[in-house]
Amino acid sequence: MKITVTGASGLLGSSVARALVAGGHEVTTLQRRPSSVAGVHDVIGSVTDPSSVAEALTGTEAVVHLAAKVSMMGDPSEFEAVNIGGTRTLVDAAVAAGVQRLIHISSPSVAHTGDSIIGEGAGPASPELAHGEYARTKAAGELIALDADSEDFKVLVLRPHLMWGPGDTQLTERVIDRARAGRMPVLGSGAPLVDALFVDNAVEAIVAAVDAVASTHGESLVVTNGQPRPIGELMSRIAIAGGAGVPKLRVPVGPALAAGSVVEKLWDLGEHDDEPPLTRFLAEQLSTAHWFDQRRTQEVLWWKPRVSIEEGLALLAAHYAK
Amino acid sequence: MRFPARPAQAPPKLPEWDPAWSRIVEAKTPDGPHSFHVLDTLEVLRAEGLEPSGTILALHGNPTWSYLWRHLAQATVDAARSGGRVWRLIAPDQLDMGFSERLAHESLPTPHGAEVRRMSQRIDDFDAVVTSLLAEVTGSSAPNDAAASAEHPIVTIGHDWGGVLSLGWAARNTDLVSASISLNTAVHQPEDAPIPAPLRATLAGPMLPTATVVTDGFLRVTMSLGDLDPEIKDAFRSPYANASQRHGIGGFVADIPVNENHPSYSELQRVGADIAAYEHPALLVRGPKDPVFLERYLRDLRQRLPQADVHRFELGSHLVSEDYDVAGVVTDWLNTLFPVDDAGAIAASGTSAAENTTAAAPARGVTAILDARHDDESIASVDFAQNPAQQITWRHLWHVTTSIAGGLLELGVRPGDRVSMLVPPGNNLTAALYACLKIGAVAVVADAGLGPKGMTRATTSADPQWIIGELPGLGLARAFNWPGRRISVSPLGPVQAKLFKVETSLTALSRTTHHAQLPTPAATDDAVILFTSGSTGPAKGVRYTHGDISALAAVLTRVFDVHEGTGLVAGFPPFALLGPAIGATSVTPDMSVTKPKTLTASAISDAIIAGHSTMVFASPAAYKNVAATASDLDEEQKAACARVELVLSAGAPVPLDLMDSIAEVFPNASIHSPYGMTEGLLLTDIDRAGVTAAAATSNLGVCVGRPIDGVELALAPIDDSGASADVLEQGTAAQGRLGEFVVSAAHIKSGYDNLWATTAASARDDLDGRTWHRTNDIGHIDAEGRVWLEGRLQHVVTTPRGPVGPGGLEALIDSDEQVSRSSIVGIGPTGTQSLVAVLDAEGTYLSPGLAPLDLTSRLRELVAEVLGHDLTAVLVAPTFPTDIRHNSKIDRSRLATWADHVLSGGSVRTKV
Repeated sequence: MKITVTGASGLLGSSVARALVAGGHEVTTLQRRPSSVAGVHDVIGSVTDPSSVAEALTGTEAVVHLAAKVSMMGDPSEFEAVNIGGTRTLVDAAVAAGVQRLIHISSPSVAHTGDSIIGEGAGPASPELAHGEYARTKAAGELIALDADSEDFKVLVLRPHLMWGPGDTQLTERVIDRARAGRMPVLGSGAPLVDALFVDNAVEAIVAAVDAVASTHGESLVVTNGQPRPIGELMSRIAIAGGAGVPKLRVPVGPALAAGSVVEKLWDLGEHDDEPPLTRFLAEQLSTAHWFDQRRTQEVLWWKPRVSIEEGLALLAAHYAK
Repeated sequence: MRFPARPAQAPPKLPEWDPAWSRIVEAKTPDGPHSFHVLDTLEVLRAEGLEPSGTILALHGNPTWSYLWRHLAQATVDAARSGGRVWRLIAPDQLDMGFSERLAHESLPTPHGAEVRRMSQRIDDFDAVVTSLLAEVTGSSAPNDAAASAEHPIVTIGHDWGGVLSLGWAARNTDLVSASISLNTAVHQPEDAPIPAPLRATLAGPMLPTATVVTDGFLRVTMSLGDLDPEIKDAFRSPYANASQRHGIGGFVADIPVNENHPSYSELQRVGADIAAYEHPALLVRGPKDPVFLERYLRDLRQRLPQADVHRFELGSHLVSEDYDVAGVVTDWLNTLFPVDDAGAIAASGTSAAENTTAAAPARGVTAILDARHDDESIASVDFAQNPAQQITWRHLWHVTTSIAGGLLELGVRPGDRVSMLVPPGNNLTAALYACLKIGAVAVVADAGLGPKGMTRATTSADPQWIIGELPGLGLARAFNWPGRRISVSPLGPVQAKLFKVETSLTALSRTTHHAQLPTPAATDDAVILFTSGSTGPAKGVRYTHGDISALAAVLTRVFDVHEGTGLVAGFPPFALLGPAIGATSVTPDMSVTKPKTLTASAISDAIIAGHSTMVFASPAAYKNVAATASDLDEEQKAACARVELVLSAGAPVPLDLMDSIAEVFPNASIHSPYGMTEGLLLTDIDRAGVTAAAATSNLGVCVGRPIDGVELALAPIDDSGASADVLEQGTAAQGRLGEFVVSAAHIKSGYDNLWATTAASARDDLDGRTWHRTNDIGHIDAEGRVWLEGRLQHVVTTPRGPVGPGGLEALIDSDEQVSRSSIVGIGPTGTQSLVAVLDAEGTYLSPGLAPLDLTSRLRELVAEVLGHDLTAVLVAPTFPTDIRHNSKIDRSRLATWADHVLSGGSVRTKV
């Protein structure tokens, strides 16, 4: 099949592109930097630019749309341009070009209002209720993608939850770095259950979705390892696998939420290279349960996570031992 | 104060209320046409093409309205949609009540005033409304004959004073009505009993209008009797927003005939008499936590309707249908009574539980052997609970029981009367019990482990006419105002007798001259009702008939070779009572019944010596102490223990190490550990060799062996939602899968007392035409047919990988040296739960919160390896809540609530 992958310069995008190539597909990628994936046709450009999108979609049958502005912080207009505008541009171009399938990669935060999520399925994306610019704009983008779903243009939305593993800079490396520096906090008891997704499983779920969308489309699926863990335990094990000690910085939940909020505001004003140490969004994530019912996901995708959390931790430890 | 007239209205939008149920009906009552608001499901049913094939006529009480029947409306419509009988529900609001017409009144209501709509008028009102509505459906107004009523049965249901009115109407329309149901109600105010306190206050002359009409006090108090959500309370109160709408509430109270001068007194007498003549099937549902409709009203109603099935929701209040799924009980009862596609419905009904276990009639009655040995001078019973130990011969036992039986009859005890036994095991209990069995009086035995509150609840629900007790028991009965005339064991002095309201004593009764002829109970008559402390909810009374007891005695003879002349030490209460039925010499050892750990090796050996015993029955806790105190035995005692041929341990499984310890005390005995429960005391059996063999396998759970001779065991597989299947499996199809054990045998219970729905649910299977009992115990059967217990049905964890029984996993986790004890709980929605192990911090170095990483890893690997399941988390709880008595019974639901709280971000310091 001829498949276009957007955002193939990141860990997930490049891994998906690589897996699709390995699966015998003809893969075109669209991103701002070279993808460095062997065997793909790189189109350098942005999803916000109609001409590069049109170029990347030429003759393609399926699109895996990963390109997004992923960050805890930032200028609202930037999020909107990429996550909403970019998705709109891509969807319009895909429909015009006669593309038949779209796998839109979203985030569970699009339906997360800050309350605990305990064994629920994927709720509807809600730009009004989602917390933060990222979640709000991803929610709007997801709705654009789902709105375009039809028998001729089959759309399936995947929402990978808390992806981690070797090479992941978003979560894994930050946890390890902060644990090394003694700045990785454990909020409260560290007991709230969270779902996470090992990177290899995320890749395989997306590849599975390219096939699955032919029979089931027009819905959103949260993708996780199906192994909820206490957040404190998971973070500790990631830190240990990365060669850092067990996080010892214990923060009561109340102050953490307040501190997160203050920090978020401060960082919003200035220009910084690094992410803030703890945003309210993250504090919420770390102090409330959020784990999901995976039965529908596994049924639709005809997929099961191959690498267990325990195996993933061993792989992570091996990666950092090198 | 004047009250203007106002026609009936439709209710506003209300929660759980379908506006399509509402209709306004003009009915011609004897004093002219009036408009009624009526809940009627006809329109909703017909809109879906469903034509009624049965009608339920419902009547609310005071101060509710037809909103009370919304759950029944929904349940019947849902059942009709899914292919069941199409029941139409007609539930009028009474005049001056709910959204029905408000009559004009010149003044506030008073008991003798003219402004009150009287009981007889209200029955006429009901008649007028339902007669006109029944005529709308062909088949539902035809006079009753067997065929017509099966085609379109008409059933009444009422609550509170609506119960009396609807029963009264039904009793006067027996040609139309096929069955009747009543929730908390009262027909008759006994002359000698005071009016319930809350009503007394309201009825006190000038208070009446103030409490009921001028203010909404009565309304508010009634709505506070259950645990209602605020919006539901508001809905109930919506037709009574101001005083001008509340005349009916006061009028209703004013019409309660508190004495014979009251205008409605004679009508209530007539209604009561009519109800007593009513012979159609009846169901009485009761929530006992009702300050007005007390137990005596249920007793009165049961005397008028002896055919009635009863279902008590022990923790239910006056508004019992708000507290519990009464609609479910009602529809189940109606389905049993009026099955779809069964023209002979009426004839086939009412034979549910009674005919079960007596198909193969037992060879002899419970007291047959005792009677046969009336001249036998050998020892029947030795009682070490008395000091000095008391032994009695068969002749003496026969004589005493026959005298007491006659004395009880002379006192007024009738066959079928219930006698609460507050006597610890020993000769006195044996004498009292067998005296009752001789005349068909039913012994009610409540486990002292229930505590005063539990025993009071149990005794109140069994409603005995008599109590036979020793002093501590009689003190309880007095303190908690238990029903029943009192008989002491030993004679009391006049002061004590008066204090405890004791009329006579067993000692006095035992001097009664023998009666030539005693009544002979049938095998199907109730013999005993046993209340034992269960793991969930209030204790249930388990009913055993004479046939069941005979069958149980026969099992002991057939399976364990307990026969006439055998000497047995009875350290386990249920079996202590069976000696005379078998003809075995039973010895009650010196121990406290409620504390099995007080049985010492010396005490058991002395009991063995006294009864020349070859068999010993006790519980694992007792044997544990016997083994621990074995070093105290002298040579004679050791020799006595060495003579024992059979050691039976009942009440809980016996681990291998305890089996080995028991074997050291009783070197020549075969050691058996049967599995059972109050509802079926002996179901499977395993001996020491069996436990050894089972321990060598890798099965999860506790092996309790194979079914004994006469017991059929089947498995109801558990599905992904944790429910056990309706279809039973046996043989290889039942092996290797998690399920609920379902048993059938002649010696299982006949039913639960006053729990119609619970009985029906537990005996719902009909495989091979047998009567079965759902045990609620879960586990699996291995390829060799051995039964393995893995916990209770309500504790099954439903993970996305399938259901998990907690028992097996806990045993596995407890084997880790860092763990003292554990509980497996499920967190999250059914079918996708997370499997969580909660460990007890007590007696370990673990601190509350997340367990240490290395321990968590170890347990997770163990669970993955043995079960292939993912152990989500390991938590350490500061304390383990347990059942007060059974220290081993962990309160899993409380632990699950705590774990759920902690795993959603709550503090680990939250109280478990």
